[in-house]
Amino acid sequence: MTAQETALGKIDANLELMDRQVLDNDGRMIGKVDDVELEERDDGRIYVSALLSGPGALGPRIGGGLGSIATGTWARLSGRSEPARVDWSEVASVETAIKLAVGRTTAAIDGFEVWMRDRVIAAIPGSKVLPR
Amino acid sequence: MKKLFAVALGILTAIGGFVDIGDLVTNATVGSRFGMSLAWVVVVGVVGIVVFAEMSGRVVAVSGRPTFDIIRERLGPRVGLANLIGSMAVTLLTFIAEIGGVALALELATSVWEYFWIPFTAAAVWLVLWRAKFQLVENVFGLMGLALVVFAVALWQLGPDWSQMWHTASTAAKPGQEAWPSYWYYAVALFGAAMTPYEVFFFSSGGVEERWTEREIPTVRANVFIGFPLGGLLSLSIAGVAAVTLFPASIQVETLSQVGLPVAIALGKLGLAIAILGFFAATFGAAAETGLSVGYSIAQYFGWQWGKFVRPRDAARFHAVVLLSTILAAVVLLTTVDPILVTEFSVVFSALALPLTYLPILIVANDPAYMGSHQNRWLANTLGSVYLVVVLVASIAAIPLMIWTKLGTT
Repeated sequence: MTAQETALGKIDANLELMDRQVLDNDGRMIGKVDDVELEERDDGRIYVSALLSGPGALGPRIGGGLGSIATGTWARLSGRSEPARVDWSEVASVETAIKLAVGRTTAAIDGFEVWMRDRVIAAIPGSKVLPR
Repeated sequence: MKKLFAVALGILTAIGGFVDIGDLVTNATVGSRFGMSLAWVVVVGVVGIVVFAEMSGRVVAVSGRPTFDIIRERLGPRVGLANLIGSMAVTLLTFIAEIGGVALALELATSVWEYFWIPFTAAAVWLVLWRAKFQLVENVFGLMGLALVVFAVALWQLGPDWSQMWHTASTAAKPGQEAWPSYWYYAVALFGAAMTPYEVFFFSSGGVEERWTEREIPTVRANVFIGFPLGGLLSLSIAGVAAVTLFPASIQVETLSQVGLPVAIALGKLGLAIAILGFFAATFGAAAETGLSVGYSIAQYFGWQWGKFVRPRDAARFHAVVLLSTILAAVVLLTTVDPILVTEFSVVFSALALPLTYLPILIVANDPAYMGSHQNRWLANTLGSVYLVVVLVASIAAIPLMIWTKLGTT
């Protein structure tokens, strides 16, 4: 993985993208850059085309039995076979966290969060009130 | 004026929130068995936590990234995960010990069996984590924790031979009847109690909760540089009163009531009542801190939304982790395991896990991309590197010493 020229300037994907926090356009934390998707363009250079997030991307990087259990469980529960991705065009800025130009529903990389919210946490009284 | 008040409040809560069940039990045990001969460890531990808390506070103020976020980013997913599992296990163990400590304090106050209190304590802790604002928890329990100043008053009231005490402390003179392995075992335990990793997770995540920016760095420094050492003095007075009263009588600390016994001797019932209030505040506050820290570290590793600055439904997985940990803590305690024993294990395992937390902080505090003009300077780096060695030695020695001395009983 090498540096790439983007609208955001030249970045080192390994150092400045991998394992960084991803924030939606509201500043909410929605996941990590668990991996990146690369694409070879006509000029023969390799570009980062998307950020990958969630167990589908993290499992293979952890590797071993634990990694494949994580990926397998996630694939069965979510019914997806490819990791959740955020297209590079939706990235607004790369700082100490990666900020997206889209909201969390559009990015759709935190399915487990939505499930936990709707099925468990929302049922507990006071879940909609800001702590006082 | 308002600024001054905020700084003063920060310092006071830092003092009152410094001591937790690990510090209470370990300091009293050490005082009763080794007099003041291990006081130097508390000093070394306090300087260590000051160095790294300042560093992690500065990192979060400048970059907005809390400690476990950085651990994942710098160590990668595999080592980061191993670190997460280790740190979580220790923080969870400490959480269990703190809830047990609250129940013990309530038992002391009411004479009602501690196990009766456990479900209520766990429920109360969860309710605070679910509904109460971050600053409220910090301020209420921090200020109430100042009741532990009664230990310093008790020490003064007991009127010990100060020069004799200073002599034992400054020469680290181990009492003749104790063996060296036990001495070093308790040195490691005391060090682990003073530098517990959760303090840094909590402190740095608190920086995000309270939205620190570069402007807050002086305030953060005031809290750390003044509040923590004064909190350390409270630890020392807990050891001190035990050294003056329990040590000559060869009473060994096995219960929380024995931690408070010297205060009762010095100041009577009222003093003891204040000490019990202090126990309650210190353990309840620390239970809230450790409970949050478990949620913080998992959420920060996986990138989930966390924190009490959003509605619980907007940090669903974080709150699910907090809820499950609280239930688990209550279940473990209801097996009638002795909370004091859990505490002893938690401080030793803290010592074991220390390098996992402190190495990544030191690395990031030197990263110009994160820190800009607020990078570590020579003093922070020198102290940080020296402490990394100390922490590593303590970590390697922890388990062998624990086995060798059979938890310090030989």
